[in-house]
Amino acid sequence: MIESIARVPAWPLALPFFVLGIAVFGLEMARHLRVFAAVAPSRPLHALTRRTGALVRYALLQTRLFADPRAGVMHYLIFAGFVILGVGAANAVTYGLVQGVVGAPLDGALWAAVLLLQNVAAVGALAAVAYALVRRLISRPARLAYTTSAVVILLMIGGIVLSELGALTFEAAAYGALPGALITNALAVPLEGIDAAILQGLFALCWWLHLALIVGFLVILPRTKHLHIVTSFFNVFLRKLEPRGQLPMLDVEREDATFGLRTLADLGWKDLLDGFTCTECGRCQEACPAHATGKPLDPRAFIMGIRHLADEAETGLNYIPNGPDVRRLPGMDDGLTPTAVARPLVDGAISYDAVWDCVTCGACVQACPVLIEHVDKIVGIRRNLVLEDSRFPREIAPAFTAMERSGNPWGQPASTRLDWTKGLKFPVPVARDLAAAGTLSDVEVLYWVGCAAAFDDRARRTARAFATCLDAAGVRFAVLGQEESCSGDPARRMGNEYVFQMLATQNVETLRRYGPPTIVTACPHCFNTIANEYPQLGGAFAVVHHSAYLARLIADGRLVPAAAGTDRGEGGGADGRARRRTVTVHDSCYLARYNGVVAEPRAVVGAVAGIELREMDRHGNRTFCCGAGGGRMWMEEARGTRINAERTRQALQTGAQVVAVGCPFCMTMMTDGLAAAQGADGVVALDVAELLAEALVAG
Amino acid sequence: MRIVVLVKPVPDTTGTERLGDDLRLDRASSPPIVNPNDEYAVEQALRLVEAHGGEITLLTMAPAGATETMRKALAMGAHGGVLVSDDALAGACALSTARVLAAALATLEFDLVLCGIASSDGGGGVVASGVATLCGLPYLSYAGSVEVTDDRVRIHRLHATGYMVLEAPLPALVVVTQIAVGEPRYASLKGIMAARSRVIRSLSLADLGLDPAAVGGAAASTRVLGVRPPAVRGATRVVRGSAADAAREIVDFLDERRFI
Ligand code: SF4
Ligand code: SF4
Repeated sequence: MIESIARVPAWPLALPFFVLGIAVFGLEMARHLRVFAAVAPSRPLHALTRRTGALVRYALLQTRLFADPRAGVMHYLIFAGFVILGVGAANAVTYGLVQGVVGAPLDGALWAAVLLLQNVAAVGALAAVAYALVRRLISRPARLAYTTSAVVILLMIGGIVLSELGALTFEAAAYGALPGALITNALAVPLEGIDAAILQGLFALCWWLHLALIVGFLVILPRTKHLHIVTSFFNVFLRKLEPRGQLPMLDVEREDATFGLRTLADLGWKDLLDGFTCTECGRCQEACPAHATGKPLDPRAFIMGIRHLADEAETGLNYIPNGPDVRRLPGMDDGLTPTAVARPLVDGAISYDAVWDCVTCGACVQACPVLIEHVDKIVGIRRNLVLEDSRFPREIAPAFTAMERSGNPWGQPASTRLDWTKGLKFPVPVARDLAAAGTLSDVEVLYWVGCAAAFDDRARRTARAFATCLDAAGVRFAVLGQEESCSGDPARRMGNEYVFQMLATQNVETLRRYGPPTIVTACPHCFNTIANEYPQLGGAFAVVHHSAYLARLIADGRLVPAAAGTDRGEGGGADGRARRRTVTVHDSCYLARYNGVVAEPRAVVGAVAGIELREMDRHGNRTFCCGAGGGRMWMEEARGTRINAERTRQALQTGAQVVAVGCPFCMTMMTDGLAAAQGADGVVALDVAELLAEALVAG
Repeated sequence: MRIVVLVKPVPDTTGTERLGDDLRLDRASSPPIVNPNDEYAVEQALRLVEAHGGEITLLTMAPAGATETMRKALAMGAHGGVLVSDDALAGACALSTARVLAAALATLEFDLVLCGIASSDGGGGVVASGVATLCGLPYLSYAGSVEVTDDRVRIHRLHATGYMVLEAPLPALVVVTQIAVGEPRYASLKGIMAARSRVIRSLSLADLGLDPAAVGGAAASTRVLGVRPPAVRGATRVVRGSAADAAREIVDFLDERRFI
């Protein structure tokens, strides 16, 4: 028998006691899983290598947590402490088996190393718990909500660590130093004068307290946010692998189907797993532009709401799993009734207003350390509201109708799609004409103009600037003209999957007809939809954002920018040279966050001589939405303050004279934001193509 | 309550419609939509049926392909439709249209007929009164609100300086305005699917016992002699800037022109 274990009174009870804890834990989890089984199926398991990679990156290395470095270190110390103290616990409940195996070779040196590691880990974890308590109770960052359960859990973790340290210390004091346990051995030195019986008693007390706390932790774990220590591994492993900018397909022809998400039962079990994995850390809430501007939407509350609904669905269920054999026993059929999982999500997990507040910017998804997916669910709820109940903010009905009838949300006739080309000094060839003339194959790139650039005055200027760049570089390009229609992004993100598929199917057909080698577009929404979503409808096309295309033209020497503000293209002014020198780049969510295009717009801006880039704190994949995404372009913003005003404030803080954008909707939002802001005199919003066009010298 | 709504397919209102050499609409130039004014009537009918129960039948006189357009109104929630279609009707005038619709109405059972104030293409606004006259129905026009009790209908008839309250026994014909219903509902996908299986009955002139020579294009009481596009309007001025600045600019603009 291992000596350390034999010293503990009643040690043979350790295993049964622990097994009891595991059993309660298992039964509670089985109850959760019965609700999982009662809801819709989720995605299949595939791409196991990629999934394993994600597991290492997000669950073991916890990279996302280090976005907030202090919280990251704190969490990692607790995580490491748990894993390492776990070895000791495993040893205790196996009556010293672990020690027996590990301690056998090299004269016990390995076990001494384990004890040393345990000592260090325990001290680290203790410090981390203390810091966490200070944050919860005293410094209280805004994203952390005070909950009793969080504090209880922290105290329990603290207790587990302290009792372990205590047990090792008193053991050393009573029975002599333990090889390797340097810290506790040192702590034991001053205790040596105390009566051995007392020390032995204290050792036994700490030893059993440690085990009791671990068992207690197991028992309460399934009902707290700390369940994430179990679920997050699964959640990370089962993450969405499709491009983040791709919403799930919906079969709009299935007459008997529920369209989108209406009740708990329509969610997939992975969505429930999201709920049971949420750590309530509030990182999503902190990142959310809707929440930041005082709107009812709170992504954390939504995910917790899903968990609450699932919890409610299982109340009243027996602990014993309700299998067919069990059900035959008298009094044992508690049946998970269909009504229990039929609770509606709207007003159950999220308010109706909040559903429509979301700009689908993805900041929440990006921030979540355990890879919870908020956006797909919110759009799923919109789908149900739109496709089944026609329930949506009134002001978007005209946009829906316009997209359906005229192929663009502005409701303009397709015959005016080329009006933006008026005033250009060179012709803009149309694909259909080139095809008729048999010269389509000469085209290097198809310029997907997008509805904004076709119908919005400001965006038309951007289109002219971009076409000017293409022309200056001698790029042979073509446009679709009247044959282009809305990519469908606004419809899809507003939940109108029917109109999206109508538009997208038609576009895929048109694009296939001309088989463009590459598509370039200045609209990140068109870009994302064509690149990531058209493949769902059988259209695989190579798409680049215009900033990337321009960056390549510059790198290849086909475009040579001169000094900033030189009056060579549109938009340049006599005093342009003096004004336009400091630039901040406002990243579009669908470009930077969803598709990782961050360096390219900066490369274009940086190529213009005399420009000094001043970044906002939230840039790149942490960018802050302009307020127009997710179809919010077509909705009133009545709740809270305006998102574009907040983003404008952030831009103005940099002191930059130009806010560079790469999206027509960001352009509208930032232009309006600057017009309404105090102290924005002389500050302008310009597309990266416009900045470049001003500085053009053809190469 | 059984409600019949008169619905006309019209060319899309985005302005791409063309006229052929015969000065009749080139139907290929522009996809048809439900006449927007008629959508208010459909919406009104839906609300009445939601409140009182009943059925809504759409009645349309149009070329045979119009069933597609009618399905869009059915998707809003109407229960069925009747399409009067006959080659002889091409070029029919408003009077002939009223005669045909009146004859079709005579084959239906109804308590109330609803229609919009005018079509967006022809814009005559006289068919409804013609139908009411030919059918001998009380005619209540420009309804800003519609209320139905057991056997009577009461409307607020909009008026330049207010409204009049009109009441008539059922069956009656009411011309509904946008004021009565606000925006018509947007058809849900469930509605679109349900509309696919709803029945649209087709009737020819022969089915109605009408003589093509009396109501068709040949007997038209009006003829289009010529068309010209409207004068191009002056450029629109878009006011941008903060709310306060924009308001000041608009006030100055109106003040300069002595509008205020
Ligand atoms: S997508 Fe953006 S707006 Fe929507 S919940 Fe997430 S952070 Fe908030
Ligand atoms: S959803 Fe993710 S980011 Fe938001 S509170 Fe939960 S764990 Fe944190």
